[in-house]
Amino acid sequence: MFIDKSMTKDVIAVSPQMSILEARDIMVQKGIRHLPVVSEGDILVGILTDRDLRAAMPSVILSEAEKADGVKRLAGITVQDIMTADPVTVSPAQTLEDALLLMERHKVGAFPVVDLDGRLRGIISVRDLMRAFVTVLGLRTPGVLIGIVVDDKLGQMKKIVDAISELGVSFGSVLVARVWEEGKRAVFPYLLTNNVARVKKHLLEKGFTLLDPMEWCLDQVPKK
Amino acid sequence: MKKTGILYDERFLLHKTGEGHPEIPERLTVIMGAIEESGLISKMVSIPVTAAKMRWIEKVHSPKYIHRFEEACMLDLGELGDPDNHICPMTYDTALLAVGGILNAIDMLMEGKIDNAFCAVRPPGHHAEMMDAYGFCFFNNVAIAARYLQLQWNVARIMIIDFDVHHGNGTQHIFEQDPEVFYYSIHEHPSFAYPGTGREFEKGSGPGLGMTLNSTVLPGQGDEEYKTKITQDLIPAFEQFKPDVVLVSAGFDAHAADDMSDILLSTEGFSWMMEQICRMTDLYAAGRLISVLEGGYCLDVLPELLKNHVEILLGLKKLHTETEKESPCLLINR
Repeated sequence: MFIDKSMTKDVIAVSPQMSILEARDIMVQKGIRHLPVVSEGDILVGILTDRDLRAAMPSVILSEAEKADGVKRLAGITVQDIMTADPVTVSPAQTLEDALLLMERHKVGAFPVVDLDGRLRGIISVRDLMRAFVTVLGLRTPGVLIGIVVDDKLGQMKKIVDAISELGVSFGSVLVARVWEEGKRAVFPYLLTNNVARVKKHLLEKGFTLLDPMEWCLDQVPKK
Repeated sequence: MKKTGILYDERFLLHKTGEGHPEIPERLTVIMGAIEESGLISKMVSIPVTAAKMRWIEKVHSPKYIHRFEEACMLDLGELGDPDNHICPMTYDTALLAVGGILNAIDMLMEGKIDNAFCAVRPPGHHAEMMDAYGFCFFNNVAIAARYLQLQWNVARIMIIDFDVHHGNGTQHIFEQDPEVFYYSIHEHPSFAYPGTGREFEKGSGPGLGMTLNSTVLPGQGDEEYKTKITQDLIPAFEQFKPDVVLVSAGFDAHAADDMSDILLSTEGFSWMMEQICRMTDLYAAGRLISVLEGGYCLDVLPELLKNHVEILLGLKKLHTETEKESPCLLINR
């Protein structure tokens, strides 16, 4: 799953010479928090974030006179003065997993997507990733999650899938909590059925252990 | 005592779902058995059953979907969409009769021939979307009833109260943008229950913003939580909206003995909730209420639950309820 399939291609970019007041208006009007900055030929030179802007704006605790003075001085300041130059970028051929891990590592909300020539091709943000994962989890399809705890060994997933498939029930998605507890994993199939009682009964008869919904957790289970 | 209508027809049993399916004809036979044995039936007004006219079904469902449903039954394809939605050759006709009967109940209600009614119908309706069958539901009975009230009887303010333990995704979506239909649902939290919709932040959209209200209940909760949510959410919404007619999507699967959910509502909890609904309907909607069966699958508790439900509709003093008995349906939740 490559980034260019999920990124926002219709990206709004600004020039380094744009006034930061104008850039702020674009962000507010479009409801966006990241503005890639490009020079001629769409070559990416930086990114302007709402955080960069806030840092440059006069503080709300200043007096009116001080603020007016600050705003006057801001009119002469351009995007290149406050943008983050040389931002972390990704390429369209990188993957959604790359983007997810990079966001976690760099603690940022979006990456400009650039091709090998450094040209801006799009932007991939937390929002794009969320949309993709909401879809892949099947949350927009009627279904129900159940929780099963199994030994952390080969072949457990097959048993679960076989048992549920025997009932003619389809899967919307399957989540696995890997660090459930020592030697155990928690498996959460999202099942496209309203007949959950039948599935639970069948799994219990097959010797599976079902988890109390109030104990469900995707991270490490907190020690009591 | 109120003039309460009862809608039932043996043809509602003709929709067969096959082995291992919880939505079975016996649900209706045990319910009607209880209403007959307790003598309540003689106090009720029988509602005639006729197949609904296509023009009313089409007020909610797309002609393409209706055709697909009819064809799947004619060809005996066994299911419609999800394997959940078992069909037999009679399912389509049964669904038409259920809707038709409910529309007859509405006519009698609006003509003053009855004060309220309980409709013991199958198949259920609240999961059915405009263009898809879901969760054992094919035609959205209550949604079609609401459209009928609007278009045939010019009713301006309709409130749908859905206490099935599963969220009525179909009903919510159909009226999401409609400012004249208020949809309230109380159900198990969607992260733990089918169909995964009905989160508390879903409040309608466009002109219908604020006309959808969802109360979610966490697994293991019961009477106390229902009392809190009904009191905090439903009653103020009712007072503010002031409906002219109330439609109830009456599902009984939140009962502790019903293994279709993790919710532990008691028999008394159901009565309390229905008493509140009827009290509010008397206050604001001249008592005009049509209750339509949705889910509820534990054959052991349905008789008493529905006997109580009907007694409350009739306005009879609620009889002493038996103490809760151990039910085999409970085994699975343990």
